[in-house]
Amino acid sequence: MFREVECLSHVVIHSKDLNTKGVCPTSSVVTNLLKQLTNLKAYEEFGYVLGVTKLKAIGNARKIGSTKYMFLVAFNCRTLLPMKGEVMIGIVHSISRYGVFLKSGPMKIVYLSIRKMPNYSYVDEGKPMFLCNDMSRIEKGVVVRFVVLATRWSQRTRDHNVLASIDGDSLGPVATAGLDGFDL
Amino acid sequence: MSAEEEENAAELKIGEEFLKAKCLMNCEVSLILEHKYEQLQQMSEDPLNHVSQVFEKSLQYVKRFSRYKNPDAVRQVRELLSGYQLAEFELCVLGNLCPETVEEAIAMVPTIKSRGRGHDDDEAIEKMLNDMSMIKKFE
Repeated sequence: MFREVECLSHVVIHSKDLNTKGVCPTSSVVTNLLKQLTNLKAYEEFGYVLGVTKLKAIGNARKIGSTKYMFLVAFNCRTLLPMKGEVMIGIVHSISRYGVFLKSGPMKIVYLSIRKMPNYSYVDEGKPMFLCNDMSRIEKGVVVRFVVLATRWSQRTRDHNVLASIDGDSLGPVATAGLDGFDL
Repeated sequence: MSAEEEENAAELKIGEEFLKAKCLMNCEVSLILEHKYEQLQQMSEDPLNHVSQVFEKSLQYVKRFSRYKNPDAVRQVRELLSGYQLAEFELCVLGNLCPETVEEAIAMVPTIKSRGRGHDDDEAIEKMLNDMSMIKKFE
């Protein structure tokens, strides 16, 4: 779900960014905050950061080491965070006999296990896919509506990984007639 | 750990801090990000060099899966759904997925049903879905 939330983050400023009076300009704090958000990409609690909308407050400086200062910054930003129980849309990008991987926006790892694809079976006749009793198919490039069973934060890649399911009403491959756009 | 186990959007248990957050529909995010992208295009020949991968992937995603493209239609959908006593999360899921029937709406947002809705309320949900469909038709 896309949201606008208030976030708190520590921003580190080098002493060379202080002005002649030893004061750190707000612009330096903001610039470093934006660089940090671009590098970090996502937070465990708030999700993927799309952009800052408002700077709310900058706390007092705390010296760390001999040349750096840390500021606690409060700001509003737009984020994307997958929630357990939320119904989302993704596109199949990888298939194995045990399930498929979807990508949904900035999330690359949305795993849909065969165990959560009732009435689908794996078929590989040159082109791997999952085929349902009603002949609907889940193959590479297909748009799938799924429910989020669980999420997991990966600190190493700074990504939210999602476990998906299509075991439920109105879930599964969807027609996208009229929904044209970029390939993800 | 217990707070995480309790979180379940299907039951509208989405944590205290997110009850205060404003939720955005894909179509609203699409307008916001497209506007930002157009501003960058005016400033630079290659705007993709100035945005993060998160921005780029999110823009592609919301452009592709927005049900409403026209800014007036997006505003109308927000106004329409705001009149039905929905939580922010419920409003945005309905706006994103645009269910066509009452049953599909309840499957997507089970918490609509949990408020003890009777036949009259099913009619209200059907009217809401029909109004959303009309906005799309005349967009």
